[in-house]
Amino acid sequence: MRWWRFVIASEVRKILAFRADFWVTFIGQTCIQIFIARSLWLAIFEASGKTVMEGYTIGTMTLYYLIVPIGSKMLTGENMGFLSREIYDGTFNRYLLYPLSFFHYKTITFLTYSAFYGLQLAIAFIGYQLLFGQLTVNEFIHLSYGLFFFMIASYTYCNISLFIELISIWADNIWSLMVMARFLCFFFGGAYIPLSFFPGPLQSVINFTPFPYLISLPINAMMGKLHFNEMILGLLILLGWSVIFSWLSRRLWNKGQYAYSGVGI
Amino acid sequence: MKRYVRLYLFFLQFSFSKALEFRIDFFFRIAMDIMYYVVNIALFKVLLLHTPFIAGWGDDQMMVFVGCYLLVDAINMTVFSTNMWWLPFYINRGELDYYLIRPVSPLFFLSLREFSANSFINLIIASCFFFYSLFNYSQEWSISSLFGLVILLINGSLIYYCIQMLMILPVFWTQSARGFIDLFYTLGLAMERPDRIFKGWLRVLFTIFLPFALIASFPARVFLEGADFSTMIHLILVSSGLWFIVLYVWKMGLKNYSSASS
Repeated sequence: MRWWRFVIASEVRKILAFRADFWVTFIGQTCIQIFIARSLWLAIFEASGKTVMEGYTIGTMTLYYLIVPIGSKMLTGENMGFLSREIYDGTFNRYLLYPLSFFHYKTITFLTYSAFYGLQLAIAFIGYQLLFGQLTVNEFIHLSYGLFFFMIASYTYCNISLFIELISIWADNIWSLMVMARFLCFFFGGAYIPLSFFPGPLQSVINFTPFPYLISLPINAMMGKLHFNEMILGLLILLGWSVIFSWLSRRLWNKGQYAYSGVGI
Repeated sequence: MKRYVRLYLFFLQFSFSKALEFRIDFFFRIAMDIMYYVVNIALFKVLLLHTPFIAGWGDDQMMVFVGCYLLVDAINMTVFSTNMWWLPFYINRGELDYYLIRPVSPLFFLSLREFSANSFINLIIASCFFFYSLFNYSQEWSISSLFGLVILLINGSLIYYCIQMLMILPVFWTQSARGFIDLFYTLGLAMERPDRIFKGWLRVLFTIFLPFALIASFPARVFLEGADFSTMIHLILVSSGLWFIVLYVWKMGLKNYSSASS
């Protein structure tokens, strides 16, 4: 058995350690976000007197906000934010001693969480289509496109997170930087409002950042709103951002190893 | 009472010196909260590009509402949030013992010990936006209605604290790492929406059982549209009921507390 299988098994055990808590949080968070978002959009549709806004009906908007909370969890994983604490207390030393790459280890743990949330997303999507939509081969194809894009987006976000986390070698605590990255990602990624509602010039600017490719692109793929060439372009851009942040975080790692005292506080 | 005030002043002194120990983090946290404010304001500004009203409120009324919930959030981030973050750890590791043996109310100590100094800067920023939104509001308002609004928002902060506590206290029984705090943050979205968007059972949920709508939306509505008797009675009953429930669950939790770490 290769080392990464042990890492995945250990992470799955962690995820399932508090099962009741995990499922209550999952079902609760998903339902609450849908109900709140649907209430808001019902009020907006009613006030505007329209049945379709920027290509969304109230039904497709509900599906959008079903995908958002689980997709966002899939994107951001849960195993990040510990590095600064490890540097602070000196347990970061273990990464210098492990007979495996720090980046590989962190990526595998991150993607294990993403895959688990991906499973939840698939269950929720199929459940929603069975109850309120239709479940044909097309929906399964869209679901697999969406999950694929979310996994690639998770990998990109993992690289962004690693880059930010490694700053803690110099800055002690970067929790707030991680939260800021999340705010930017969720707002400009379309987690709060679909990006088509943003003013045109702002949309053009946002497209030069990685954010729309992290959330909006996978959601649109899952909702069957993307053409094949848009998917290919989106995939290339996502991978491009992954390469950039992966290179940046490796540069930080190389420099950081010399700056790290190894003592802890 | 005097003893508790003196104790709280010590908490403040300790928290400020602790916050300045990590200066970069101190400024990062200020930037983070500013970003949260900008995102929330931008969210409603973008939505109002597509509709003239949301739940009967136009742009300037909506900004008053946004100012209200940002202020409540800033109060909670400053006064309670760090304490709430650490509470599950104390319970799970058995460290609650140290607080139970002190000659002060453990609930007071654990809820108020850490004053978030960096969030205090953000509280000032949130207050500035709150007053800016009030001065930009096109209708006349009086000092007495402003005073009423501030009182209701302080009450809103206590409601927010009580609900947060109720989501954390199950840790006494589940021994999970964070209780249902993630669920609480998601539910917190209900505080950031005007209460009139909620209809049917959802309205009952957010105005009685998990009264997030009473935190900022009710106070903003009382300020914008005037107070009515039933709204005030509703606010008083739900707020006091919630406080008694927190005290009851806290006592039950302490009875269940084994002191052994997990």
